[in-house]
Amino acid sequence: MQLNHRVAIAILALAVSINASAHAILTDSTPKPNGSVPAGHLALMLKYNSKIDQARSRLILIAPDKSETPLAITANTGKPNELDSAADLKPGAYTIRWQALALDGHITRGDLPFTVTAAP
Amino acid sequence: MALLVDIFGYLSVILHGFVIVTQSMTLGGLLFLMLLLHPLSPRLPQGDVLEQRVVRLTRWSAWGLLLSELATTALQVSVLMSTVDLSFANVMQASFAVAGSIKILCALAIALGLGRRSMAQPLPRVLLLLVGLLELVAATATTHAYARLDHNALLMAVEGLHQFGAAIWIGAIPCFVLVLRHLQDTDGLTLVGARFSRMSMIGVACILLSGITMWIFYVGDVQGFYGTAYGVMVGAKVAMFIGLLGLGLGNFLVTERLRKGANASVIRLRRFAEVEIGIGFTIFFAAASLTSVPPAVDLTTDRVSLHEIAERNAPAWPRLSSPDHDTLAISQLQTQLDREAARDHQVAQSATTPGSGVIPPRNAEDIAWSEYNHHWAGIFVLLIGFMALLGRAGAGWAKHWPLLFLAMAGFLLIRSDPEVWPLGQEGWWIAWRDVEVAQHRFFVLLIILFGAFEWSVRTGRLKSERAAMVFPLLVAVGGAMLLTHSHQISNVKDQMLIELTHTPLALAGVAAGWARWLELRLPGRGGRIAGYVWPACFMLIGVILLWYREA
Ligand SMILES: [Cu+2]
Repeated sequence: MQLNHRVAIAILALAVSINASAHAILTDSTPKPNGSVPAGHLALMLKYNSKIDQARSRLILIAPDKSETPLAITANTGKPNELDSAADLKPGAYTIRWQALALDGHITRGDLPFTVTAAP
Repeated sequence: MALLVDIFGYLSVILHGFVIVTQSMTLGGLLFLMLLLHPLSPRLPQGDVLEQRVVRLTRWSAWGLLLSELATTALQVSVLMSTVDLSFANVMQASFAVAGSIKILCALAIALGLGRRSMAQPLPRVLLLLVGLLELVAATATTHAYARLDHNALLMAVEGLHQFGAAIWIGAIPCFVLVLRHLQDTDGLTLVGARFSRMSMIGVACILLSGITMWIFYVGDVQGFYGTAYGVMVGAKVAMFIGLLGLGLGNFLVTERLRKGANASVIRLRRFAEVEIGIGFTIFFAAASLTSVPPAVDLTTDRVSLHEIAERNAPAWPRLSSPDHDTLAISQLQTQLDREAARDHQVAQSATTPGSGVIPPRNAEDIAWSEYNHHWAGIFVLLIGFMALLGRAGAGWAKHWPLLFLAMAGFLLIRSDPEVWPLGQEGWWIAWRDVEVAQHRFFVLLIILFGAFEWSVRTGRLKSERAAMVFPLLVAVGGAMLLTHSHQISNVKDQMLIELTHTPLALAGVAAGWARWLELRLPGRGGRIAGYVWPACFMLIGVILLWYREA
């Protein structure tokens, strides 16, 4: 039964990720939104249009089984508008749910969906 | 907490609006006292009493600033603590919390320090101004400028100048109105009026200079102006700013006539200044919602093109028949969920969770449904404006036009959120968690209130002068709320195209409300003109609504 429902949820989740109508917006990322990357150790990077309080932002990795794992954010004063992290990932559909605190105090959140493919 | 994301976003815009209003009134009050009233008061009859009144108003503004800043900071801190799992001590070191604390302390210092004794000596007066300056500096640390990647120093200076200009001009107008109300003597009026004109000109110059600079750095180009939410909101601010300039010019002419010893209408000066407060505060709320959208220069994708705007606004016949409720996306999703649940002998899940931040699905029927609502609302409003005009021209039966508002409220309550009771499966109470639903209900309440009040006033059931003020104030507030109204639509471009029609609606609403205010309060020709302006604004709103399309 759950298949249809899951499709519905996936569509809804996607809808949220497009809705970037708040202050800090994603200008670039690794992986790209809806992009795909080979399995293994992955460097994750989310780049914003404004300076971000890295210590008070959050990245959560949503695995294909919907389990949520917080990712450690690497402090990086040289790149004040980035949230950097890394993870070892197996093939499947993942989402990074991010919440960024811009230095001016505005909180924004969004989803970054991507696919991990089998290593070549 | 995650369930309240969109309520949080909306609430923070409203609270931010209150912060800007009270901050401008506090700083404006200080500047009005130090630059105008205190130096002039020995030459004014009862100057001392006037000074005490303005001191009291400024103190109240400072308390208001303290409360609204406290609420804003507390909200942000609690959201951060619960969503990022941080301790209170940690969050309080974030730059916005530090800036917020400084603003709160400054407001407290002004609220407690400002008084008869501190006004009497130069040193405490200078100290109070410095506290105000410190507050302004802290406030710029919570604007876009502080988080920009480049040109921080320049942009912070410009944001500071912008807020200073707003304070010295709009923030000081309540003090000006207060003084005008209690000052009868013509020489005194001339003195105060002339100096206030000069202060406002400085304010306008600061706003213009900073506004142009911010346009270059935040909007960038013409497409950023018409193609993004940020640009459209800036456009609304500019339109209202021009309106304010017009009113300010009117007041300048009055004070010039007074100065030359000619006869001039002081009552017009007062009424125009009242309207300036209203429009000025509306600009502040528009400014608050600007902080929740990214500057246009950063939104390089998802911009709306002129072609798309033209396509969307091409003439089309209004939609006067509604699609079936069962064909709406949520109804269909729910039917599917129900069917699956019945098959598996489980309790069906709900197709939507209000307030979860998840945007509900939409199909062509949903769009038709919404357009139908807007078009019928347009017919109601057009009729209301037309009947009000007839009433103005002398038709007695037309005075019952406010009853149309009640019919419209009933229509909107049932139709605006089809997934909610009575048409949908969502309960009445649970749906409050959805901002859009909450906003719609708030609008319905507004419409009922102003319909009921205005009908009672028109038919002589309510005789109080204050009751007559309810309608124009609610219309003006409704217009201002519309500037912060959000439609939950996943497509940024579609959202923008809808915003493009809502903004003129909001501006026409603000204009209608304040024109009606003038009609009631300004005797003579000015009031009569205003009496034709507001029904015209209503009819314009009706036409825009009839024109409204979502696809
Ligand atoms: Cu609407």
